[in-house]
Amino acid sequence: MSLDYVKFSPGFDKFMPKEYRDMVEHGPFGKKTTVSQMGSFKEILEEHPMCAGCAMTLFIRLAMISFPNPEDTITVGTAGCGRLAISQAAVPFVYGNYGDQNAVASGLSRGLKLRFGDKPKDVVVMAGDGGMADIGFSMTLHSWFRKERFTTIMLDNEVYGNTGGQESGMTNKGQVLKMAPLGKKFEKMDMIGMAKLAGCAYVATVVPNNPRRVESVIKKAVLIAREIGPTYIQAYTSCNIEYSIPTDKVMEDAKSVETDRYAFSEHITDEAKEYLATRYGFKEYLPKPATAAALPKA
Amino acid sequence: MYLVADIDVDICAATSCKLCTQYCPEANTINYDDNAGKDKGHKYGSAYVAVDRCKGCAQCVWVCDNMAKHHAIKMTMIDQLPKAAITDRITYLDKGTKAIAAPVEVA
Repeated sequence: MSLDYVKFSPGFDKFMPKEYRDMVEHGPFGKKTTVSQMGSFKEILEEHPMCAGCAMTLFIRLAMISFPNPEDTITVGTAGCGRLAISQAAVPFVYGNYGDQNAVASGLSRGLKLRFGDKPKDVVVMAGDGGMADIGFSMTLHSWFRKERFTTIMLDNEVYGNTGGQESGMTNKGQVLKMAPLGKKFEKMDMIGMAKLAGCAYVATVVPNNPRRVESVIKKAVLIAREIGPTYIQAYTSCNIEYSIPTDKVMEDAKSVETDRYAFSEHITDEAKEYLATRYGFKEYLPKPATAAALPKA
Repeated sequence: MYLVADIDVDICAATSCKLCTQYCPEANTINYDDNAGKDKGHKYGSAYVAVDRCKGCAQCVWVCDNMAKHHAIKMTMIDQLPKAAITDRITYLDKGTKAIAAPVEVA
């Protein structure tokens, strides 16, 4: 859990694969990388077996670039599409049993606090809608009520994509899927409302058709989770296989869903705003200067 | 044979919006070369595709046509490309990357 864990043992560098050498020499460890520099440095995400044109992959790629300290980050995941890519990255990945991811992350973040004290170590949970809203629902909600300090990211593709298209709690009402031929009978679960109710310090919905927004949302969520409390991001990441979206129309779909039902929203507590402004100099949360008195009318 | 994305350097180097590098779902597939366009007398560098990593989803084509409106990216059969970059021939520099474009052997 430091910059050193990626480096080679002396004398072994010439036997390492090219990707690994590039990672050590030109990776983002110990540097500040932003979305606008993409394509000019070696990313921590590597080649992965996810489908061509998957929006979830794009979101994971943007999230990995946005981590404030990738060398001090551990990702936790569970069964589902997302872990296929999250595990193919140069940050440690812990695989929770199906639905266990928030319970595993609770223990992990407490252990890191005991071992490293004030030195920031980030735990980021990335799991799908099935792992978080259906099977791991109790553990997700309990970790929020206990005010565990880590980031929870839901990769919401509104279907069980990995197992052939069953409906999940996050599927919209009336949606017909391959394994839900009569259409879903219930409403989509309001996880955003539940996160606010449980007292998350930062709650946001985001769609990956705006890379800079994804970056700012992830940075804020990870930084707030270091000291203030739990944070939750819900990202719409369409499944182009189960929803039959042509791969070159994935961003068009993301745009239409964003205007239709997935508008960007952000909920941040006053304590978290003050923390971001004083500790990390976020300009938008600095106290505004007192406005000048209106000029008297002539 | 299969399709891969191919970027027109002359169009890309004239505008340099870098949108395709941000919207590709694959890591380090569309890279950026700061000198590719300057060698040809253009103002900016150009993006290029590492064809061994491209899965052919054509998201970059949609982004270039509809968001950037530059129409610089086309899907091309891999054996029709005279020269292309692959991961083994990419060098990372302090700023940007450098790739040697050479004919690709297709089995």
